[in-house]
Amino acid sequence: MKLGKYAKLGAVVALSSLVLTACGSKDNDKTAGNVVNWDESGELPGMDLSKATDQISFTMLGNTMEGLYRIGKDSKVEPGLAKKTEVSKDGKVYTFTLRKGTKWSNGDKVTAQDFVYSWRRTVDPKTASQYAYFFNGIKNADKIIEGKLPVDQLGIKADGEDKLVVTLERPIPYFKLLMGFPVFFPQSKAAVDKFGDKYGTASKYMVYNGPFKLEGWTGTNLSWKLQKNDKYWDKKAVKLDAVNYKVNKSSTTAYNQYKSGELDASPLSNEQAKQLKNQKDFVEREGAAVAYLQFNQDSKDATMKAAMSNKKIRQAISMSINRKSLSKVIGSGARVPKGMVPDKLANLNGKDFVEMDPVVNGIKHDDKEAKKLWSEGLKEIGQKELTFSILGDDTDGSKKITETLQSQIESTLPGAHVTVQNVPFKTRLQRCDTGNFDTVISIWGADYADPISCLEIMESTNGQNAGHWANSEFDKYINLSRTVDANNPTKRWDDLVKAQKVLLDDQGVAPIYQQASAWVVNPKVKDLVYNAAGLNYNWKNAYIEK
Amino acid sequence: MRKYLLKRIFYMILTLFLVATLTFFLMKLMPGTPFTNQQKMTAEQIQIVNEQYGLNKPIWQQYLLYLAGMVHGDFGTSFQFSNQPVSYLIASRIGASAQLGVQAMIFGVFFGIIIGSVAAINRNTWIDTTATVLSIIGKSVPNFVLAVLLQYYIALKLGWLPVADWNGFVYTILPTIALGVGPLAETSRFVRTGMVDVLNSDYIELARAKGLSKFGIVYHHALRNSLIPLVTLIGPYTVALMTGSMVIENIFSIPGIGEQFVKSITTNDYPTIMGVTMLFSTGLVLVILLTDIIYGIIDPRIRLTGGSGE
Repeated sequence: MKLGKYAKLGAVVALSSLVLTACGSKDNDKTAGNVVNWDESGELPGMDLSKATDQISFTMLGNTMEGLYRIGKDSKVEPGLAKKTEVSKDGKVYTFTLRKGTKWSNGDKVTAQDFVYSWRRTVDPKTASQYAYFFNGIKNADKIIEGKLPVDQLGIKADGEDKLVVTLERPIPYFKLLMGFPVFFPQSKAAVDKFGDKYGTASKYMVYNGPFKLEGWTGTNLSWKLQKNDKYWDKKAVKLDAVNYKVNKSSTTAYNQYKSGELDASPLSNEQAKQLKNQKDFVEREGAAVAYLQFNQDSKDATMKAAMSNKKIRQAISMSINRKSLSKVIGSGARVPKGMVPDKLANLNGKDFVEMDPVVNGIKHDDKEAKKLWSEGLKEIGQKELTFSILGDDTDGSKKITETLQSQIESTLPGAHVTVQNVPFKTRLQRCDTGNFDTVISIWGADYADPISCLEIMESTNGQNAGHWANSEFDKYINLSRTVDANNPTKRWDDLVKAQKVLLDDQGVAPIYQQASAWVVNPKVKDLVYNAAGLNYNWKNAYIEK
Repeated sequence: MRKYLLKRIFYMILTLFLVATLTFFLMKLMPGTPFTNQQKMTAEQIQIVNEQYGLNKPIWQQYLLYLAGMVHGDFGTSFQFSNQPVSYLIASRIGASAQLGVQAMIFGVFFGIIIGSVAAINRNTWIDTTATVLSIIGKSVPNFVLAVLLQYYIALKLGWLPVADWNGFVYTILPTIALGVGPLAETSRFVRTGMVDVLNSDYIELARAKGLSKFGIVYHHALRNSLIPLVTLIGPYTVALMTGSMVIENIFSIPGIGEQFVKSITTNDYPTIMGVTMLFSTGLVLVILLTDIIYGIIDPRIRLTGGSGE
């Protein structure tokens, strides 16, 4: 056994190196002060606000930059750089007076000109901003984006250093809410010119005017920091010294880091959420998105077209879906929908949109009624049975959903044969665009906290309306909310409530679940503002309880 | 030798050209746009942005432009990371993957050789059986399962090593083990088989008859010869490991290239797909060439005269 010694030696060397190195590993860099360690699900793709397209970028921009307003708790509009706002009677001209003495992190003054520059930069076709469509409704924006007018024709003007005049084509009732979204924030021309191609690609190639500055972000790395900005005008209200962000793509890893005290928050997988539901640090967050089934009423197949255009058949399919058990199957990622507009997205004077006139039709489950409508519907289109497909994404979660729908529909409706098609996300979008589907599960996330963001996609002319459901009454209410009632919040909401009622009474689509997510969050983190739409987290007033 | 090398280099360039061409056209067959916000954009908006990125040009023009850029070392700008050149993206993320890959390979090959040799020397005993069983387990347990177990027990429960992240050598230990067990198992099987053959050959008998020590025989005579087949294995394996393992990188939150590659494909990030594919294939053809040259040096039975002896 002389040679066994070498094997043993090797093992000893390996083990001891493990143990030795392990000794040096406890270097939790918990700097003193008020610091939060937060989990993020992916890289920060960019900080150029004209080009940002994702939730993570928007959240970081929202905390390191500031526009005319900030979005606070329950999507309430809170003061930002605008000290005074005057709105013309017709709601088309906004005059903002900027707060005096606000500065960029390099010491430059933030001026009205910075807004003008930033907005023009975003709508400039050369910038190729994917969020330029947000400017729709601001004078000449659409034409400028299409390259038909020069950028200086945009409806924004600086009147001296502190006055900003914005002209709209039509009143936008949620205009102040939009002003809290990063594409409308100012940008420093000096910084954009100075950094050139590198602008917004790393924390050092940026200037900030928000409550925090971004530090330690190289453009592609997996950790960065929001550091309190001493030049911020309202720095007294900022209690945190820093928020350390760490990217974990595996929720198991994030949870392990949470358990070991390295993180103050972690998202949970379905299994984890089930186990941890009763813990006091368990937090469920509503998402701003609703998943819904679209019926292709413009199918190239004549039978399919007739079937999907038949209201009774659409209703039968919707009624055979048991949304409660479906959301149990999906787990923490879903809750039962309350309509086409997500719960806790938008409220008027404190009352949530979904509570205005709670939707009953269109999202109820009734097997008996479903069977009756189904046989009537089939008779009307002269068929004995119907085979149709459900198109969905090819993720594990999405496969579970399509399979559950398949079994719920087939077991309820006699003569219904459902096939499921799970394809990559981009393929699903393409097939929606080209009308190559029978029914499809679409998911729509609201961009801002207003019901119109979720309802306008069902207008007959909207590109997102892949099933080509068309209803003049629905279109009428949406249009009223934009025109006649635009400056009357109560009437406008009433229009939108009615529009949603028309949509669901006619089963133009069948909402199936509202997105949600489960987290564990250190209960000591206080006053952190979470909003489902737009930018998720506002850290301005947050602090960690000692 | 020089003629052989020139010929090989020509073939390498040809291979890379074919890879670039195939990848480009296959990539263009994927549905959808590279825009992250595609779902929210109308058809007209997509058309406007397409024009701005030159994606509305005929595919053959895009292809030629792409080739021209590539020859000049310009892989374009990523769609996932706004304004970020693909070359920077790769440069900033390949390091972690490469380090991890090399460490895993060293770990795997080192212990693989030891275990394989021990098994061969003690063949048909319980030691051999144990080594075989362990190798089979090592080969068949997916590395992400091992990674999760290591993370939970070693890092979280025992607290010996960090759970995840990438801030120095200690952070690399668990992922190295998780990633290295595969090559370890493979190497040990290779070495065992090779060494059993060698130990049965005449010259080992002779060495024994001469009265050399068992260690001397194994170390000086048997081991070297039984390692030759390993050379074929190590090269491509190292490239595969170095270019990143998405799963291991995700579990240990390592800023590597593996995950980026997969994500670039699902998001239609054309410049990144091309950049990373070309990097991988260049690495692979270089390693294959290197392997062949090394083969010629360590095994005189193989001649690199180009053409004749095949």
